[in-house]
Amino acid sequence: MSAAIELTGLTKVYKETRALDGVDLSVPEGSVYGFLGPNGAGKTTALRILTGLARPTTGGAKVFGHDVVHATNEVRSLIGFLPDVPGYYPWMTAEEFLRFSGRLFGVEGSVLDARVASLLDMAGLAGVRQQVGGYSRGMRQRLGVAQALINAPRVLMLDEPTSALDPMGRKDVLEMIRALSGKTTVFFSTHILTDVERVCDTVAILDHGRVLRQASMAELKREGHALKILVEVEQGAEDLEPLLAAEPWSVECEREGQIIRCVVSDIGEARRSVPAMVAGQHLSLVRMVDEEPTLEDVFVDLVGGRS
Amino acid sequence: MHGFSVFLVKEMTEVRRTWRLYVIPGIMLFIGLMSPILAEVTPSLVSSMASSEGQGIVIEIPPATTVDAYLQFSNNAMQIALIALIITVAGAIAGERRSGTAQLVLTKPVSRTAMVVAKTLSNCLLMLVATIVSAAICVGVTAVMFGTELLAEFAAWVALFYLLACLFVALAVMLSVVLKSQAGAAGAGIAIYFALTILSLWDVLREYTPVGLLGAGDRILTGATDVPVLWPVATGLLMIGVLVGLASWAFRRQEL
Repeated sequence: MSAAIELTGLTKVYKETRALDGVDLSVPEGSVYGFLGPNGAGKTTALRILTGLARPTTGGAKVFGHDVVHATNEVRSLIGFLPDVPGYYPWMTAEEFLRFSGRLFGVEGSVLDARVASLLDMAGLAGVRQQVGGYSRGMRQRLGVAQALINAPRVLMLDEPTSALDPMGRKDVLEMIRALSGKTTVFFSTHILTDVERVCDTVAILDHGRVLRQASMAELKREGHALKILVEVEQGAEDLEPLLAAEPWSVECEREGQIIRCVVSDIGEARRSVPAMVAGQHLSLVRMVDEEPTLEDVFVDLVGGRS
Repeated sequence: MHGFSVFLVKEMTEVRRTWRLYVIPGIMLFIGLMSPILAEVTPSLVSSMASSEGQGIVIEIPPATTVDAYLQFSNNAMQIALIALIITVAGAIAGERRSGTAQLVLTKPVSRTAMVVAKTLSNCLLMLVATIVSAAICVGVTAVMFGTELLAEFAAWVALFYLLACLFVALAVMLSVVLKSQAGAAGAGIAIYFALTILSLWDVLREYTPVGLLGAGDRILTGATDVPVLWPVATGLLMIGVLVGLASWAFRRQEL
């Protein structure tokens, strides 16, 4: 699969601050790619370089093989971009802004009419005659995603599209992004782990201007991070917990009511031992399930360890 | 200049649908209407003020004429309108940066040069319409109150004033790019305006540079026949080009 975005040794220095420090990244075409990191990690800087708003200090950035520094118009015609706080002309309506954006890409006539109608519908703004100046944050973000799609971009770049939204606004925007899966490449920066888990198939974790890990979501959760097992009994969990914690395959256990969660080093051994231990204590097993590590676990492992 | 025509249409629509339609045109229309009236009442106002002092001072001021009406228009336009123009245009690029629209628009295939040229041109077009309508009103009111003399001289004044206004538009846009703040650009623009006014007292500069545009129109109105306008006009046009070029160059080098 070819790379939609490729960053090679990308470095950006602002006076004393190294915002990006030799970032290497490859975003596969067609993926919904989460660019995850805490605030100040360098996500927005990378996006500003990719969109031509800033220049790298050293290193390179390419979009479908076009250098973002030298082939600015070629790159811009391929991308759709939503900044973290999109600015609009407050006197325009959503339809007018979409038409203006489309014309800047050279989209005209019936193609523009059809796209504007479809995107207004997708953004839930069809029939809204109010000027953009009076929009809520959620409406502005939904319009932001719509305007970024007006040129049918090969790569959609979204900078923290959900960070300022309430739960309903977040849900709407994430659904819009999820609906694009398989249709276009989405490069999506955020510090909200659950958003990445909900919509992304591939993720890079950035911290202090460096990429700590880049992998598919499944791979990231699978490899090298602690597995958990959840054991629920009808009663007597307080007696069972120290026994489980003492097992050689058990790393650590914690109890909440009649539910015990253990981080385990050998999931197979844990699966074999636990039912026998519960029976040996004359307890009734309600359920025993493997718990996948969440992205939060992985993120804390990587970023927390570094910090 | 990718996206120039689309952006220019946006600018002109914005003029039509926002405060920009009212500020400069409103000031110019007010000046056009009021200047002949002010010229008419000024002599009697001054006389009545002098006699009200009660010191036996008698000031004889001849009744106002057509030239007084046009000179009043000139004074008001050269000061009030040009300073208001500098203040409003100072936000041209700085406002787009501050509101975040520059980041959204300039990540589409529109060049920064196109944005600078469209901003300059749209403000010059707005000023052209405002100047023509305002001057026409002034001519009409003056004709009713004083007569129809000096039409050719006033037309020459209008042309020179318009060129000067375009020069200040280009200057304000350039300052808006470089200083990145409307207040900063407006302050610097007004300071440059006053500096040029002082420099216009120097003969050499008045004869060979755009500074000459500041007083040439008034001298034509008062009947001077040897007013040097060729060099001020030529260098004024050149300076507009240089300022637009400088603004584009500086904007292309900036990070947003």
